[in-house]
Amino acid sequence: MAAVRRTRVAIFFGGRSVEHEISVITALQLMQAIDPEKYEITPVYISPNGSWFTGEQLFERAFYKRVPSALSELQEVSLLPKPGVTGLITLNRDGKSATGSVIPVDVIIPAFHGQYGEDGCIQGLIEMTDIPYTGSNVVASAVTMNKYVCKVFLQHHDIPALPALLIRREDAQNDIKERCEWITKQEGFTSFPLFVKPCNLGSSIGVSRVTDPSQLAPALAKVFRYDTQALVEPCVSEIMEINVSVREHEGIKASVVEIPVSQSGVLSYEEKYLRGGGKKTGQSEGMASLTRVIDPQDLDTELRDAVIAHAKKAFEVLGCSGVARLDFIVDLATGALYFNELNAFPGSCSFYLWVRSQPRVLYTTLIENMIDTAMKTRGTIASLDRDIGLKALK
Amino acid sequence: MALKASLLFLCIGTILFAYRRNLSYLRYFQQEEYNNKRFWDWLRTNRASDTRGTAIFAFVILTASLSLPNIVIAISSTLALGTLVITAYYLEGDPRSTGKIKLNMTERATKTSWVSLGLLILISAVPLTWLCCPCGTTNATIIKTAIVGIIVAQATPFALMLAALALSPAEKRLQEHYLGEAKQIFKDVAPFTIGITGSYGKTGAKAALGDLLNQTLGPTFWPKKSINTVMGITRTIRELMKPTHKYAVIEMGAYNIGSIKRLCDFTPPRAALVTAVGIMHLERFGSPENVYKAKSEIAQAVAADGILVCNGDSPNARRMAKEHAKKTTLLYGFDLSAGPLDAFASDISFDEKGTSFTIHWNGERYPGQTPLLGRPALLNALGAFTMACALGAKPAFAVACLGNLPPVDNRLVLDKTSTVSYLRDAYNSNPTGFDAALEVLRALPAERRIVITPGMIELGDQQFEQNKNLARVAAGSCELFFLVGHTNREAILAGLREAQFPATKIIMSDTRDEAFMLLGEHQRKGDLILIENDLGDLHEGKVRF
Repeated sequence: MAAVRRTRVAIFFGGRSVEHEISVITALQLMQAIDPEKYEITPVYISPNGSWFTGEQLFERAFYKRVPSALSELQEVSLLPKPGVTGLITLNRDGKSATGSVIPVDVIIPAFHGQYGEDGCIQGLIEMTDIPYTGSNVVASAVTMNKYVCKVFLQHHDIPALPALLIRREDAQNDIKERCEWITKQEGFTSFPLFVKPCNLGSSIGVSRVTDPSQLAPALAKVFRYDTQALVEPCVSEIMEINVSVREHEGIKASVVEIPVSQSGVLSYEEKYLRGGGKKTGQSEGMASLTRVIDPQDLDTELRDAVIAHAKKAFEVLGCSGVARLDFIVDLATGALYFNELNAFPGSCSFYLWVRSQPRVLYTTLIENMIDTAMKTRGTIASLDRDIGLKALK
Repeated sequence: MALKASLLFLCIGTILFAYRRNLSYLRYFQQEEYNNKRFWDWLRTNRASDTRGTAIFAFVILTASLSLPNIVIAISSTLALGTLVITAYYLEGDPRSTGKIKLNMTERATKTSWVSLGLLILISAVPLTWLCCPCGTTNATIIKTAIVGIIVAQATPFALMLAALALSPAEKRLQEHYLGEAKQIFKDVAPFTIGITGSYGKTGAKAALGDLLNQTLGPTFWPKKSINTVMGITRTIRELMKPTHKYAVIEMGAYNIGSIKRLCDFTPPRAALVTAVGIMHLERFGSPENVYKAKSEIAQAVAADGILVCNGDSPNARRMAKEHAKKTTLLYGFDLSAGPLDAFASDISFDEKGTSFTIHWNGERYPGQTPLLGRPALLNALGAFTMACALGAKPAFAVACLGNLPPVDNRLVLDKTSTVSYLRDAYNSNPTGFDAALEVLRALPAERRIVITPGMIELGDQQFEQNKNLARVAAGSCELFFLVGHTNREAILAGLREAQFPATKIIMSDTRDEAFMLLGEHQRKGDLILIENDLGDLHEGKVRF
């Protein structure tokens, strides 16, 4: 019998967000975990300035230390936003014209974190090509990336979340004093500490814990280095974080929960990504290396069940797909549980939670399921009748 | 046959060594901006010609000429020599990844390297033909090979200079082409341009102003680090300038009279910020008046309806504001005694988080803080604040943005380890900067304070006096003093002695590496170590090849 052709998977990663490097780590982990007998991988690296490249070198971690100068060793590629091309077009050295050859792709895994990759942008582009892709669609990605919109939407679906104020960069530039005074007059925001964070970013970049009014303006200015909208939230002083992963495969399923252990009260970018399991040196393993307690046995079952129920509901009402991670916080003083944020494509695909869940799901299986779901979703969309609107001009 | 094989081994070793050595010299040649005169001066003053390779080959010549011809000895000694040369190749280290300022393999560097290697082959071709001639004993062959080795080792820096000379017409054409391209891009983007110059502080002020404008008024272009020459700016414009850039902040270095004018013609400024007019690089200009003239070119280039912002604490910058007044002329500083200031800072204090201050502007007080340490950094921030506000930024938001200014490499940066803390003020030091670093050293909490420095350079006839003065201040700021090198040894010792700093607490060393080794032996938990003026490779003193 002739050998079955392997499915050609393009892993898209890197990208134009501040979480560029984390995406590289996630993608390298994916490339190692994916079943090579079933899938043929084409790595597609998007550089911080937005050019797309492919090449064998992208499988090697050491290569990224030589970026950007080593990018000239790679083949520049792109995606045409039209159906029927069924792959990546290769570009000439000028990066503007096509060579005429196509690298065939059956399915795309967008392995980005943050802006342009996890917020619906790339999903929209892929949607135009009709190539199946893993993870959440345009709307779910866009809504979950905007912390404010996501919160308000989930509150509407009876999922509890902390109150939040939205401050626009332009308003702050015009009169930051007035904005600061307005914040401190709002109900629930009259006392400090407060959290100030970017509305559309993950990874703790730009986050400040403000303990007195004089720090509010610099904290907002810090957010506006990275984002056009800042979110102000009350600070839960006795806090416990609970994260859980949810995925779609033969129904919506939740993983075991985890409690990240923070040393400073707020998980900093360094703590999330650079600490490497407590060691200061060595390779970063991204989210897989964070100090954490997975499936804590002494956690109140009622609380755990509430987290899982809220998480599954949120995943469903937002229309997410693939694997997501939802972060909750517990106010230890009152026992209240709040939804904090949803990562439509979490670091390390949250595989470290799924390998501890019952039934156990290996990283390899997780990816396989994601690809299967992507294919199925594309099939459903393809079967929709679209000819109906093409009669008016006839 | 066996002898030929061993000679081949030696040749390969010599070629490897020549290649690596070529790159080692190229690193310094690059730091001297491929300028033959400056490189030659550096070679001479440092006596940086080859010794290692020459010593190996000379030893071989000596042995071969003294011993009787014997094929076994000849082969084994040739092999040993080859091994030695290859070891020397490894010991040399790769200049692309080692050293304080690494060799950057730009297109120009690659070209220079290959052309000079080609020249080296030509240079050694004559003795090589002589070598190939079959006459002579085995010993004579070895001696000839060693002579070629010496020629290659000694000729390497000259081959680089010849290569630069050979490449210069093509290089000039290429540069002109790039310059034309950059000019066109700049013209098309047409950003509102702010030129910055000053005897010191211009790089810090540029970083602060670029960042501040980017946060407050719109997308801003500014060449990073201390890029301040036409070629450096050309390259950055070609690579990084975008049509969206609304503002451009250009640092303009004064290397001689006319160099700022040339930069102003290239990127015409509509506003200028002058950080200080002092006595730095006095040797290049001859007199303080010439320094003033050179810096004034920037104020002349700004049209009468433009903006001129000057550091009011610097008498000559203040004078420039007076002599070249524009529609908007503003002064900033700390010291109100020299005359009125449009923006000034008071209530200045330092801690491990940075510098706290209150800025006074238009009759309002704006308290704030910045993660940058020291008065020079605050002065730069204040200059940037003044310019940004003159351009229309809201002062309260601008002050909030100062709270997030990114650190400037090696300019009084606090670097904490689990045991000791370092205050790195490694960039080319000046009296004001040194004094400010000592002020921060005294202000930060520490069990014990240490200063490690070679002193300051390029201060003309004031060099002795200035180093002596600062040594006196340092004596009252630290408990242990590491004195690096010989350039300022007498001056610093005189200052320390005058302040009755205990001689047992002064640790002298010939080189930076030695000083840091000694520091490692002496330091203990809780130490705060000020590394002042960690000079570049060129001034580090002894280099051995």
